[in-house]
Parts: sequence; C-alpha cells; structure tokens
Amino acid sequence: MKLYEKIIATYNGLVDVPSSDPDDARRRKLLNIILVGMMAVAGILILAITVLLLLFAFNPNEAVLPIIASVATMIGVSIFYLINRWWSGRVASVSFLFFLMFVITLSDSPAELANGRSVFLFAIPIVVASVLIGSTSTFVFYILCSIEIIILVLYAGKPAGAAVFPVVSFLFLALISWLSSRSLEQALKDLRIININLDNLVTERTQALSESLTRERIEAGRNQAILNSIADGVIVFNAENSSILANPALSELIKTPSDELTAISLNEFVHTADLSGTNQKMIRELIEQPERSESGVRVEWGKKSLSVGVARVQDTATRENIGAVAVFRDVTREAELEKMKENFVAVVSHELRTPLNALMGLTEMLQEGIYGAMNEKQVSITERLMTNITRLLSMVGDLLDEAQIGAGKLSINPQVFKTGSLLENLHSTMDKIAADKGLALSSNLDPAMPENIVGDHQRLQQILINLVNNAIKFTEKGGVHVSILREDPHHWKIEVTDTGIGIAENEIPYIFETFRQASNTAMRTRQHGGFGLGLSIVKQLVEIMNGRITVASQTEQGSTFTVLLPLETAQY
Amino acid sequence: MTKNFALVIEDDPDLSDIFSKALQTAGFEVEAIRDGRIAEKRLQEIVPTVIVIDLHLPHVDGVTLLKQINENEKFEKTRVIITTADNVQAEIYRNLATIVMVKPISFGQLRDISARLKIA
Repeated sequence: MKLYEKIIATYNGLVDVPSSDPDDARRRKLLNIILVGMMAVAGILILAITVLLLLFAFNPNEAVLPIIASVATMIGVSIFYLINRWWSGRVASVSFLFFLMFVITLSDSPAELANGRSVFLFAIPIVVASVLIGSTSTFVFYILCSIEIIILVLYAGKPAGAAVFPVVSFLFLALISWLSSRSLEQALKDLRIININLDNLVTERTQALSESLTRERIEAGRNQAILNSIADGVIVFNAENSSILANPALSELIKTPSDELTAISLNEFVHTADLSGTNQKMIRELIEQPERSESGVRVEWGKKSLSVGVARVQDTATRENIGAVAVFRDVTREAELEKMKENFVAVVSHELRTPLNALMGLTEMLQEGIYGAMNEKQVSITERLMTNITRLLSMVGDLLDEAQIGAGKLSINPQVFKTGSLLENLHSTMDKIAADKGLALSSNLDPAMPENIVGDHQRLQQILINLVNNAIKFTEKGGVHVSILREDPHHWKIEVTDTGIGIAENEIPYIFETFRQASNTAMRTRQHGGFGLGLSIVKQLVEIMNGRITVASQTEQGSTFTVLLPLETAQY
Repeated sequence: MTKNFALVIEDDPDLSDIFSKALQTAGFEVEAIRDGRIAEKRLQEIVPTVIVIDLHLPHVDGVTLLKQINENEKFEKTRVIITTADNVQAEIYRNLATIVMVKPISFGQLRDISARLKIA
C-alpha cells in the first residue's frame, strides 16, 4: 500500500504542472501524460529489442531502425516535456502536434497516406489538438491535415477527387471533436464556478459562525461578569433540580467553594449542618415551588441571616419551565439591628413598668385611705393621677407586646374558660370609660356559642378590650356594640361595631400597621392618644391564634371590626 | 410567730412598701426583704403563710429561691405569689407558685388575693 502510494505520488509529481490557470494546468498535465506514456512505450520497445537480440540473435541490422526511432522519440519527447514543464504548454502542444504530423508523414507511402490504409492517422492530431490546445484549434489542424492530404494525393498522381472523402470525413471528425471538447470545457468552467460559489458560501458561513461564536462568548462573558459582581448570592437550578450556576457571592455567603455549588442536587445544596431541618425544608420547598413563595423569606444559615427570594425561570420563547433562580441576600446586620431594637424596647418597657407600678400602688393607697382620709380636691387629684398612670401603663404594655410579638416570644396559652366571661370582664373594664365619654357599650352572646371554649383567655380579653378601646376612641356620639357569634361549626367571631368617624377606604389597608392611626397625622395620634399599636397588636395576636381580622367601614358611618377564630371546645 | 405571717421579697423599695401594706391591710404580719441572699438565710428560720416573691433579685435570684421553697417540705402549706413584669417568665415558672401576678400589680388586687390565702 505504501509502495503503491509512493508510485502514485511520483507519477503525480512527474505529470502535474503548477499553473494559475486551471485549464492550462489541465492541458499541460494531459500533454505530460501522453509524453510520459510515449516515453514508457519507447523505453519498453528498446528493452524488448535488446532482449530479443540477446535471446534469439537475429540479424542486428533489422533492429537498427526501430532503435533509432525509439531513441529519437525519447529525445523529442523529452524536449517537449521540458518545454511543457518549464516554459509554455501551448508551445509544447503545438510543436508536439507538428512533430506528430511529421512522424505520420514519414510513417507510410504517400499513396497509402493520401487515401489508403494510413489516412486515419491524420485523425490523431485533429482530435488531440482539441484537448491539448483548445476546442477551436481542432479546425486549424483539420485544415493543415486536409492541405497535406491534398498535396499527398497530387504527389501520388491520383485524381484530386480522391481527397474529397477523407477531407469531408475529417471535417465531421473535427466538428465532433470541437463540440465534445467545447462541452467539456464548458462543463469544467461551470464546475469551477460552482466550486467558487461553494467556496465563497463555505467562507461566508464560517465567517458568520465564528462571528456568532465570538458574540456568544462576549455575551456569556458579560453575563458571567454581571453575575460575579452581584453582591447577592445567586444559584440557578434546572428543571431536574440540579444546580447549573452559582456566583462567587453565594460561595462567600455560605462558606462553600464554588465548585461544590455547581452540578449538585437541591438536596445536596440544602443538606448542611449550617441549616436547621426546618430551614432546609423551607429552602427546598421554595426552589421546588417558587410561585407559592413570598419574597424575602428569612433563614438562618450558619451565623448569617439570609433573605431568600426564588423565581421560576421560563424559556422566553416557549414559556416552558426550565428551572428556578434563588437569590440569597445577607441581612445579618438588619436582623441584629432588629433584635437590638426589640431588646431595647423590651428592656425599656420592662424598666418603665416597675416605677409605674409603684406610682399606681402608691396612688391606690392614697385612694384607699391607708394614710388617712382625703378631701374632695385630693380625691379628684388621685383619680386624675390614676387615669394617667393607667394610660402610661397601657402604652408600655403595648410596646412590650409589640416587641415580644416581633421577637416571636409571644406564645399562646390555651385554657378552658367561660365564653361569657369575656363580655363580663369587658363591661367591668370599659363601661366607665364609655360612660365618661357619653357612649353606650352594649353586647350580646350568641346562644349557639358553647358555654366553655378553649383559648388564651388573657389574650382574647386583650383583643376585645383593644378593639373596644379603639372604637370608643374614635366615636363621639352613639355607642359601641360587641357581639360574640358562632360563624359555623368550626369558627366563632367577635364583632365590634361603632358609630364613630369611620375609616376612609384608602386608609383601610394601613390601619393594622405598627405606629399608625388612620388619617395618619401626628396631630391625630396625639388627639386620640396611644402609640397606635393597639390594632397592630390585635392583628398579630389574631394571626398567632390562626384567626383573621377584617374591617368594614365608611367615613362618618362607623366601623365594624370582625375577628374570625377557629372554635375549640373542651374535650370533657 | 403569729398565725398569718407573710414574707415579701422585692428589691424595689416602693413596690416592697406597697406589697407589704397590701398584705398588712389584708391582715398579715409582714416582713420585707430586698435581697435574695438575705431571704435565702431567713427562709431557713421561718415558715411564712404567704411568700410574695419577685423573680429579679440581687445576689440570689427568685427562681433559685422558688426551687428551694418547692423542694423543702416545711413549706408544704406555704402559699407562694410570684410577682414579675415579664409575662414570658411568668408562664415558665407558673408551676413553682400558687399564683403568678404580672406587674403592674394593683394594691387592691394583691390585698384581695392575699386575704383569701389567710389561714382562718
């Protein structure tokens, strides 16, 4: 195989002619093939004659002519080869053809050549010219051959009419050669055009591909740079919940090397000693079901507080779900500040309570006459002292509650209590306050309510008192009505209705916010007293009890606050 | 020692006065102590009918005292009233006392409640 390839390579090196014109190269190669072939035939002939001479020892005189002819052919062919190879294909071809005609002229008697057995030899230059020089050159050699035939006819002493048959026949041959050569040239030309077009197309496509690859690389690089420079930790999971991308901020945030954050499953991601079981579950659910989650869920990851937001990633074209992206923000500092604030509020309220308690007790002792009877003025003063102390105490209590709810420290202590006691206690606390303002405080208890229910009595009482207190605060005339009703077999509700100033529709969404009162101006807050914590605490307490608070109101028409709670009855 | 003896353990002087006065008004002979360590010693000597105890005390805190009281059989009949401003702690130590009162505690409230704990 190697040898065969070597021979082919040598042969190609021998016949190929480098040329910028592909037609020229093709023609010169063709001439070379013919020349090399002739050279080989001459070589073989000389070799054969030599062998015959040695083996059979026939008359050497008979061998002289073929040997001379062979050697002459080899010399001539070499000259044409050199011209063709190093100078001009056209010159080599034309001279080769003339040489061919010369050889033909000498090959037989003029009579046989004119229209005898050897006339067909003239077909060779006519046909070969069309492929070696060009389609039209076939006519040139046709004319030359025709002239030579006519001369030979006349030279042989034959009538001129004897030349008609070969001349007409060769005309047809020349025509056929011309046509076939022309169509071959045309076909090759077409092929070359097609090739060039194909080359251009390939170049264009390659160029476009490389450009788009470059663009994509730049784009990807830019996206990566953006991702890398985001301060928040970002991780992307595909639809199979395997991570496909994580930025350095996340790796820094959760103290995990970047390479351990990509191509890991969601389970592997959350399964870490830095996360409590609850938080692991929470993050897993968030990423699996992003549409159910609210933004900014807090988790404790190691020593850090992180806020997690998860969004579904959809294919922009098909809207198909292709995964989820989770963003982790470090809120440790905020969480600390919040905790400090809560602690501060708790400590301050706690410390305020002791002296307030002393004030209350001492005032009470005066009122009780422990230190002797008081005159009318003194009684009035101690009453006013008591009212102000109570107000202060209730505000401090609100602050403490708010701080405890915020810190998640407030727990519910369910116990069995008499449903009616809520209203009894309400009246004993609030009747005087309502009466002082000239308002009627009325109530009713749904007979469908069980006599005893389970709940945090103290906190339920607080909810009721806060709501009634709020109603009295914002009512100038009329009254406040409280109902305890059975909503359905599993729920009960407290309704507090007043005939007060009501709440404008656009303010309703805000009334349960901390430190907020409707028509939220500082003046209003002062006018109505308190921190505006009452409703916020009520709402938070209701929510801790798995209940819901709603409000229906119209400006100047009064308001109705409804607290809906799950109904639990004593098991015994 | 008289039949109805009350020990008030409260570090705030004003509250200590108020609580003592409320218990006296209810008919108790009252002794007030403002320091945990002193109270610890005193409790080795006496068995009060009622102990009013704050959870925040200097040197020895109220919870330690409460545990000692609960573990000592001689206080089996002693009624304990915890007074605290912290309602979370109030819940935690509820089972260490007869009654838990969350501050603010009114004079009248303590007087009426303690009156019911008197031995006839």
